[in-house]
Parts: sequence; C-alpha cells; structure tokens
Amino acid sequence: MKLNYLKQKRILLVDDEPQLLDMVVSILKEEGFKNIRTAKNVKQALATAEEYSPELAILDVMLPDGDGFSLMEKLKTIADYPILFLTARGEDEDKLKGLGHGADDYIVKPFLPKELIFRLTAILRRSYKDDNPLVRLSDSEIDFERAEVFKDGEYIALTAKEHALLLALYRNTGRIVTIDALCEAAWGDNPFGYENSLMAHPSHSAKD
Amino acid sequence: MNSVPKLIGRFIGILFLSIFLLLVLNFFVLFFISINQSPSDSPYTIAKETANALYKTDNGYALDNATLTYLKNESIWAVLIGDNTKTILWHTDNLPNTIPEKYTLSDISSLTSGYIEGYPTYTGDTEDGLLVLGYPKNSYWKHLSPSWDYQFIVDLPRTFLVVLLCNVFLIFIIYIWTTGRLTKSINPIVQSIRNLAARKQVELPEKGVLSELFMNINQASQILKSQERELEKRETARVNWIASVSHDIRTPLSMVMGYAGQLEDSSNLTPEERRKALVILRQSEKMRNLINNLNLASKLEYNMQPINQKKVNIVALVRQVVVDFINDDIGNSYPIKWKTDDKLSSCIIQADEDLVKRAISNLIQNCINHNENGCTIYVSVHTTQSKCTITVEDDGIGTTAEYIEKLNRTTHYLIIDDATTEQRHGLGLLIVKQIIESHDGIMIIGHSRYAGFAVTLELPKE
Repeated sequence: MKLNYLKQKRILLVDDEPQLLDMVVSILKEEGFKNIRTAKNVKQALATAEEYSPELAILDVMLPDGDGFSLMEKLKTIADYPILFLTARGEDEDKLKGLGHGADDYIVKPFLPKELIFRLTAILRRSYKDDNPLVRLSDSEIDFERAEVFKDGEYIALTAKEHALLLALYRNTGRIVTIDALCEAAWGDNPFGYENSLMAHPSHSAKD
Repeated sequence: MNSVPKLIGRFIGILFLSIFLLLVLNFFVLFFISINQSPSDSPYTIAKETANALYKTDNGYALDNATLTYLKNESIWAVLIGDNTKTILWHTDNLPNTIPEKYTLSDISSLTSGYIEGYPTYTGDTEDGLLVLGYPKNSYWKHLSPSWDYQFIVDLPRTFLVVLLCNVFLIFIIYIWTTGRLTKSINPIVQSIRNLAARKQVELPEKGVLSELFMNINQASQILKSQERELEKRETARVNWIASVSHDIRTPLSMVMGYAGQLEDSSNLTPEERRKALVILRQSEKMRNLINNLNLASKLEYNMQPINQKKVNIVALVRQVVVDFINDDIGNSYPIKWKTDDKLSSCIIQADEDLVKRAISNLIQNCINHNENGCTIYVSVHTTQSKCTITVEDDGIGTTAEYIEKLNRTTHYLIIDDATTEQRHGLGLLIVKQIIESHDGIMIIGHSRYAGFAVTLELPKE
C-alpha cells in the first residue's frame, strides 16, 4: 500500500526542548516525511503556521509562553487541521481525553519512535483519506469513497457496516484489531453484544 | 442523634423503677412497724380481758393477781361504773384523785371515745356495769371523731390510684423539663463531637455553664484541623514531588528512547550494535514503566487519583490490552495466548477503564520483566454469577512459595524491609493491587498452571 502521499504533508512541530525537536525531526525524516517546520514557543508557532499552512501539528502541552491547548485553539482559528499532542504530563491523560479540546490524539513522553509514527500516520490517513480512496490489495481493490470492492473484473458494493469494518482494518494496517474494536467501529459507542452479528459479515482482509 | 434520646429513655426507666422500689420498701417498713406494735396488747383488748377477769366477791369486786400486777406495772388504773348508779362501784388502788365519783351519760359517752381528765380511757362490759381502764397521760392519742363520708371510703381505691397517677405524671413532667434543659445544653456538644468525627470544623460559643467544655472542644477541633492541614500539605508535597520528578525525567527519557529506537532500526549498524540499542530501548521502557507506576502509586496511595467508573466490558478491555502488547512486541519473544472461552464475549463491570487497563498491562509487563529469556504469557477471563476473574500467567521462571506469600501479604508499597531491592520488584504488582482494591476486587498471586508465575484478579460484576 502506498502511503507516500501522506509523507508529503506539511508538519509543524512545537516543543521548547531543542534536542527533542531534533530527535523528532530525525525520526520523521527517517520515516520519509519531508516537509517539517519546528517552533520553540507559541509566538514562533503562530508565525510559522501563518506562513507555512501546516497540514498537521505536533504540540507540546507546556510551552514557555503559553500552553498547548490554547495554542491549538488559535491554530484552529487560522485553519482546521489535525493536532497531535506530545505531553510529559502523564497525569493529564484523562484530562486530555476528557477535554475533547479537538485534539486528534496525544502521546505521553517518553515514547517509542514506532509509536509516534503509527499514531501520526493513523491521524493523517483518517484526516486525508480522500487523497487516496483506493486501497490496492493482492487480488482486489477497495474504493472507500464509492464503497465498492473491485475483484475478478467486477465491482461488489459494500454495505455501510462492511465499509466501516474494512475502514477500521485499513486504518490499522499491519496490526491486530480486536473484535471489540471492530464492533465499535461498526455499531458505535455501545457495541455490547454484536459479536455474533460481526461473525455473520463476510470476512475481508485488509492486509498489505 | 440516637444516643441522647436513648440515654433519656434509660434514665426515665431507672427513675420509675426507683419510685416503684421506694413504694414497695415503704410499704414493707410500715407493715413491719405496725406488726411490731403487738396488736394483742392493744388497750381495747386489755380492757375487754380485764372486764372478763373481774369477778364478784362477797364484799364487792376483785381482779386476779396476774391482771392486777399487769395493770400496776403498766401504771393503768381501772374503775367499774355501775349500770344503775352511774357511780364507781369498784376501782384499783392507784386511781388518781382527780377522777370523779359520779358520771352522767354524756360523761360515759365521752370517756368511751376519749379521755377522763387527760387519761386515755378504754372500756369493757361487765355484768353490773362498765369497766373503764385509764392509761397514763400521753401514752395514747385517740381520734375523737372517727367517721368518714361513706362514698369517700367506697371511692378510696380509685382516689388512691388517681393520686398515684397524678404523682407519677408530675414526676414525669418535672423530669422531661429538666432533661430537656440538659439535652439542650448537651446537644451542641454531641453535635460538635459528631462533626469532629466527620472531620468538620467546630466552633461553639464559649459561654454558659458548659463554656469550659465548649472551649476544650473548640481547641480539639483546631488541633485536629491543623494536623489535618499539615498532613495534607505533606502528602500533597510528596505526590507533587514524585509527579514533578517523573515529569522532568520524561523528556530526557524520550530522547534516549527515540534515538535508541532509531538505532535499533538502523540498517547501517551491525547486528551486535543493534542488539545493544535494543537493550537501551528495553531498559528505557522499564524506566518509563517505573515512572508511570511510581506516579500512579503515590496518587492511589493518597487518594489523589480520581476514579472515573463507568460500564466496561472487561473481556473487550483485556483483549485490547493483549492486542496492544502483541502489536508492540518487537522481537516476538513474548507470545501471548488468549485462553478465554470464545463463547464468553462480554462481562460488564463498573470500572475505571484506564486504571484497569493499567493493571492488566502491569501484569503482562511483569511477566516480561521477570523472564529475560522470553516466555509465553497466558491471559484468560472467566465469569461466575457475581464476579469476573482475570488471570495472567506465564511459563517462565516463576518464584518461590515464600516470595509469593510475601507478595500476597504486602499491603503498602512504601513499606521497606531489609530486602529493599525485592520490595521495588513488587511495585508494579502492588499498583495492580491498589487499583483492584479501589474497585472492591481482590488480587491473588500464585503459581501458574504453566509452571511460571500467575496473578488472578477478581472484580465484582455490575
């Protein structure tokens, strides 16, 4: 599966620790991300955002001239794009989640490079899925925009549930997805007791 | 406010019991005294006996010696008043001079019920007249008009009962009034002691009879409050200290982990160098877990960790934790086997999702930490009528029965004994215990069916 289009995305990285900035930049570059700008504080971040129009921002929660949450609000008034928080405040996990400030995800420091990359690509894929609605598998193609699978020369229409299930699998490419997560993807926040219904759906594979 | 009415009730009981006992006692004492009055010696009887003992002789009347001696000893005089003559026919030798010779009918009537010249008199019938015994002055008191309204006598039992009831009622009213006053003054004390127990601030007005007591209670409240503040300050300082240290370690550790992770993946390095990078990465992860555990443990310890309970499907939650571990297991040296019955799809409990996730993660991480050469981890969920049971076990090196016993006994992660390194070894597990206990569950550490270490968590169902 090609993810190169995602690696072209403009990323804004804000953290007051220059060494941490260097490290994250090196992780992202190694992974193939090309367009990265960094900022050390709120002021710089706003200036960079104005001029650079990022498509995703990674923000530290504690900055020398303000906090990440209010920075996010300001950034969102300029343009709406996904925001990922990097925080050393582990105890704020719940708060962050509960606040629903509009952040797309958060990572508590310290983190593994793989964790950062996985979360980042997941957000990018989710936010910019329209850029590549076509997923090519070994013997078939899934067109998420049209909700169709192309296999053996014919188009098979997907039901809404099938579409949701395939999308959940696609977004977790290369990882195991629990039956409960699939139920939640298809049946929403109260997925209790749908396991049998899930089993009745035709099984598809979203592996590379 | 139960104790005060209970106390009053008990006192009323004691009061009535005392009154009853007093009445009974009085009755018996009175009875005993009147028995001792020896009714056989009653003047009326003596007068009758003397009248019977009087006999006629040729030259008048006479008494037998025994009766005469008795009368003499008791200083009692006797006269016989003739029926027809109304004069004295016979008398004892000790008759005082003041006693008249002749009697009218009204004299007879008054001496029968009363006195002659101050001497209490008693009469007995004889064939020829009336025998009169005169007792010494002031030896008896006689009721001169012993008559009552008949209805009064008939109503006497009822009257007695009514009076008794009135008395009891009056006593009751007096008691209620006095205890009312007492409880009114005691109530603030009771209330403030209650407040002290509930850790509330107490401030009583320091006046009145009990002002000194009020002052003491106020002082106690202030002491408690300041101690509590001091304790809270210390606890907060401790939690904040741990939080800030762990915060400050996070950023440098991010860099260690970040670069080590990159090196471990780098194709420019030799396998040996990459293995070293992996060791750095693994050790950094251990440090990360330690920081997280330490921070959470200190918060749980001082109840500063909010517990947000909601409906959670524990099967799905455990499954997700397992999958996260599988997804992140880089070297695949710790395979995890899902040993739960496929038919068991849900078990709903009230729980803080993040904390329970943390507990399960800690158990799996514990298996990984203590089996450097790898092991298989088995995770299972069972349910019974009332609880969900989660078991995490491995086929690794396990531990001794003594150490398991020790882990099961330890209640506090800050308790340090001689083997401090071993104590730290159990931090992750003790957090699990704290989390499970905050969910009203229990944690049991033991040997695994697969020859390694096993931990079972039991959580009550919703």
